[in-house]
Amino acid sequence: MRRNFRLLMILLVLVCFLLAISPAQQQVTLRIIWWGSQDRHNRTLKVIDLFQKKYPNIKIVAEYTGWSEYYTKLTTMAAGGNLPDIMQQDHAYLRGWVEKGFLLPLDDLVAQGVINLKDVAKNIVDAGKLYGKLYAINLGNNSQAFAIDPEVFRKAGVPLPPTLWTWEDFKRIARIIHRKLGIYGAAENLGDHNVFRVWTIENGGYLFSEDGKSLGYEDDNVYASFYRMLLELQDEGVIPSRDVEVARGSVSPEQRFICLGKSAMQFTWSNQLTAMSQALKGKQLRLYMLPTLNGKVGNFLKPSMFFAINAKTKYPKEAATFINFFINDIEAAKILMAERGVPISKKVQLALKPLLTPVEKEMFNFISVVEKYGAPTPAPDPERWQEIYNNVYTPLYDQIMYKKITPEEAAKKFREQVMQILKR
Amino acid sequence: MKNISKKKKHDLLMGYLFVSPWLIGFIAFIIFPLVTSLYLSFTRYDILTPPRWIGLQNWIRMFTQDPRFWNATKATFKYVLFEVPLRLTFAFIVALIFSMKESKVLNLYRAIYYIPSLIGGSVAIAVVWRQIWGYDGIINALLSIFGIHGINWLGDTRTAIWTLILLAVWQFGSPMLIFLAALKQVPTELYEAATIDGASFWKRLTSITLPMITPVILFNLINQMIHGFMAFTQSYIITQGGPLDSTLFYAVYMYRKAFNDFEMGYASALAWFMLALVGLFTIIIFKTSNRWVYYEAEEGV
Repeated sequence: MRRNFRLLMILLVLVCFLLAISPAQQQVTLRIIWWGSQDRHNRTLKVIDLFQKKYPNIKIVAEYTGWSEYYTKLTTMAAGGNLPDIMQQDHAYLRGWVEKGFLLPLDDLVAQGVINLKDVAKNIVDAGKLYGKLYAINLGNNSQAFAIDPEVFRKAGVPLPPTLWTWEDFKRIARIIHRKLGIYGAAENLGDHNVFRVWTIENGGYLFSEDGKSLGYEDDNVYASFYRMLLELQDEGVIPSRDVEVARGSVSPEQRFICLGKSAMQFTWSNQLTAMSQALKGKQLRLYMLPTLNGKVGNFLKPSMFFAINAKTKYPKEAATFINFFINDIEAAKILMAERGVPISKKVQLALKPLLTPVEKEMFNFISVVEKYGAPTPAPDPERWQEIYNNVYTPLYDQIMYKKITPEEAAKKFREQVMQILKR
Repeated sequence: MKNISKKKKHDLLMGYLFVSPWLIGFIAFIIFPLVTSLYLSFTRYDILTPPRWIGLQNWIRMFTQDPRFWNATKATFKYVLFEVPLRLTFAFIVALIFSMKESKVLNLYRAIYYIPSLIGGSVAIAVVWRQIWGYDGIINALLSIFGIHGINWLGDTRTAIWTLILLAVWQFGSPMLIFLAALKQVPTELYEAATIDGASFWKRLTSITLPMITPVILFNLINQMIHGFMAFTQSYIITQGGPLDSTLFYAVYMYRKAFNDFEMGYASALAWFMLALVGLFTIIIFKTSNRWVYYEAEEGV
């Protein structure tokens, strides 16, 4: 009896040992983190399930939050040395994370074919490149847009503008609509930095220089003229006055004035069209490129977000396999659709075409228009962009619109304060 | 002799051993972060790269190059200056009413009036407040009945901070309870004697009630002042610091510097400046207190 018992114990220990060791040999656990809405969380989790079914040896642990606390969380993780293997990254933050060495260069993995980028246009891939190396994979394309409500245009008797319309067209149309219907011609945050960026490109520069060490435009009149236009429109009541916008705070796409029937045009990111159309009960909005400056286009394709791999990951190959699955697998794409922007792979785009809703079709068409006419995607922002945005751009924007400062003074201050931050 | 000291030593050791959980917590979670943040205030630190010593640069920048720092200081001062006296006055009046009569119903009311203090600091209330004072909010809807239209409470630099002060005054519960306890401590024979002598209600209030509770007023004043300087949620959620930084509370600015701009060093410097300011004001109030606070026991009847 006693001997049997001992035998049993030994066997038990052996079994335990085997159980412990055997999965460890092949089972890989990856951690992934992203930001987004509930809709994105659901879609992404479904794709992860699909992936785990196809690759039973890889287990994926997902973490996700909203945008506002995302980088606070990620930065804390980085400080604690427990970054996830795969991270969603934003264009604006990419430079800082690359410079600090947190991201793995992906060129080798692409060369080995673990990540397949054959069906992706070169300029789209290059958006994730810095200092000659590829650090992040673009997940979808977006562009700045004006959403236009065709019904309101019809009511005001204004024909829809041509694709390459100008700021003069825009002002004229906005004024007519305001005069005839008593609503805003265009609404909400027209002084958004993204509109200003387009404006700087149209003026032959960009917000920042290529190396991100100074402003990318020489003449302060570029800045001043932009805000002079906004002030003019604000004073005429064609766009909402800034204090109304400030009091409303940050509004989600669904609450914008255009969705409440109080405006005919609205600056937006193209992928937000879905949310806005839902708020309008499926009423079709049209997407237009931002007005041109006498024909010069400032719109560009912006990578909506990236996946990047932790430089210290133990499983670069497995992480890359997941990213490859995410961008190339047709089944995965059917779940994700265009929630992260228009998919980058031509093959995936083709496969999705017959499944698109009218709203998604509008987005896809719009992106191909930008591909045709748009300016090249500028380099990622300097690392301190967020600080500039919070402490310089927005306060000056408010001060101009509240008339505490003239656009010309603000232009000078903007340059001074931005340089102060960039030089620090 | 040796025995005694040994016993003493043993007692001492046991004593420290028993308070050690608290002691360890105090050192690890209070002293250590405190000293670290003082060190960090002389560095540039973005969490991701190790802190770099830059001497007094953060401090110089704070006082000479940062207009938003002054905006934040101004807004916070304005808030504290109005919010604290208003809240204390309100709390005192309500406490006075409650202390005059004793009944079951009154106890219920006491609980009800305390509720705003329990929930007032919450995000939910801040969101509701935002709706109430919003452009299409309840207040404007009510005003429109009287023909007053479209006051932009949260978007106007003159009115925005008052919506926050009003919210704070509404949360008068905890100073009210403390006042109430103090009012009950005032000996009734003083009132009886005064009434017999023909003193009016007003006379009794200013000559008996107020002097008798001055120690509690002092306590409430300091408590509420410190509280006021640390206010965060209202500004963060309701006005987001705007318009034009007119409601940018110091704590919000500090938080943004630390967690939006990732300038931990600069944020630490901001924190220490606030600590120094609050300390200074507390000392000033304490120093002046022997002129207006009356301690019964010291008189030694």
